Amino acid sequence: MLTGTIVNYYTHCQRQCWLFSHNLNMEDNSEDVRIGKVLHELKKQGTEEIALEGIKLDKLTAEYVTEIKKSDADLAAAKAQLEFYLVTLYDKGIIRKGCLECLEKNKQSKSVHTLVMSEEDIEERKAYYRQIEDFLEQEQPPSPVFKPICKKCAYYDYCFI
Amino acid sequence: MSKSNETRYIFSSGELFQKDFSIVLRKDEKNIYLPIKDTRELYCFNDITLSTKMLQLLSKAGIIVHFFGYHGNYIGTFYPKEQLISGRLTVAQALAYKDKRMMIAGAIVKGIARNIYFVLYHYYRHGKNEFKDYLDWLRKDVPNLVDKTNDINQLLRVEGAIWAKFYQSFRTILPESFAMNKRVKRPPDNPINALISFGNSLLYTKVITEIYHTHLDQAISFLHEPAERRFSLSLDLSEVFKPVLVFKTIFDCVNNRKITVEKHFDKKLNYALLNESGRKVFIEAFEERLNQAFEHQTLKRRCSYKHAIRLDGYKLIKFIMEEKSFTPFSLEDKK
Ligand code: SF4
Repeated sequence: MLTGTIVNYYTHCQRQCWLFSHNLNMEDNSEDVRIGKVLHELKKQGTEEIALEGIKLDKLTAEYVTEIKKSDADLAAAKAQLEFYLVTLYDKGIIRKGCLECLEKNKQSKSVHTLVMSEEDIEERKAYYRQIEDFLEQEQPPSPVFKPICKKCAYYDYCFI
Repeated sequence: MSKSNETRYIFSSGELFQKDFSIVLRKDEKNIYLPIKDTRELYCFNDITLSTKMLQLLSKAGIIVHFFGYHGNYIGTFYPKEQLISGRLTVAQALAYKDKRMMIAGAIVKGIARNIYFVLYHYYRHGKNEFKDYLDWLRKDVPNLVDKTNDINQLLRVEGAIWAKFYQSFRTILPESFAMNKRVKRPPDNPINALISFGNSLLYTKVITEIYHTHLDQAISFLHEPAERRFSLSLDLSEVFKPVLVFKTIFDCVNNRKITVEKHFDKKLNYALLNESGRKVFIEAFEERLNQAFEHQTLKRRCSYKHAIRLDGYKLIKFIMEEKSFTPFSLEDKK
């Protein structure tokens, strides 16, 4: 089953998408993620996220689904993820517009993008998701091709060793 | 207690408990705080008491704890449950044991020979001509022998011969007080055996920690029998690092007189075991070597020897999942 993160990764890097969706995830090496997880567990706070199958929404209002990103580093991937939420909700009869908030690096300014999808858009995306599902069926991930984003990617060592 | 990177060594006895989301070591009525943020691995060399609640925190935070007995003997590892698992890889790893065992085990044995060659070549260049035959054998014969065999026991005999000849070379490299006739595993019966045993267990625990941060299954090994120990894959991946990390540390400590028989071994036990200060000196030198950085020739990045262990884990995953050839770390090639 697809998730928002998988759709995001597919747009960002197909190899990362394949590895991640086969549970070869490297994100856990990040110290921030680990500490966040530990504190979360320890405090046992209630979470404000809304989770449906494959999607975890940051915010859902009568009009909008809002997705919040730390930076606008990969806007296309973030948009693909939000679109996936809109399509999934649409199938459940929940029709919303999308709102993407990117906090800039210094977190003082933020950019806001609104997304509205037509029925054709939605059909087109569904075809795209089937394409992703087929891709994930492959026995092996595509070989890595060096791109500037690789330098900061958690998979760099694994990809290029 | 000493600290380097995210590894903490506890030499005193005491109690570990959780307070304010930190790990606390209580000793002699004093509390020492170990922030979770900077702790990924703990070594306990003395009587440490800890509760289930503490273990839960360690597990959540993915902190590994290695326990050693009072004489520096390895007891075991607390291996947190929360680990990276990929079902796809686990299945592929088991299949690789069936279909590609000789390829992986052979690559490891060649790797041992390559790294011993490089370590000893240094001495040969400085006039130890008696190593010539052994060096030639390592460079030319071992790869041939490995490629020709398709039987694991035969391969293990080649490996055994590599190490036996290596130990014989110590007579030339080390002062007489440390020279060794034969390698005795347990209990070690002379100072050099004690150093090797201690160094190998330290390396083994380091490899356990590095593999923990990959998706590999610690129980499925290739050179060693999978059932040999709970972490038999760590035995496998530690082999090529022994010359690089354990033996270079030993040669450095002994030849630069950082460790001497009189000061750093237990006299009561006939100098067959390191005493506490000996262990501390060795650990410090070992950690220094682990954290030493070099320019990795494939990644084109600075990389520590410790990280090179993790990278060998990645190479193995790539061999298993993506059929990229597996060549363990080479000290000479720096990759
Ligand atoms: S390192 Fe590059 S190729 Fe590998 S997953 Fe990251 S972005 Fe993709």
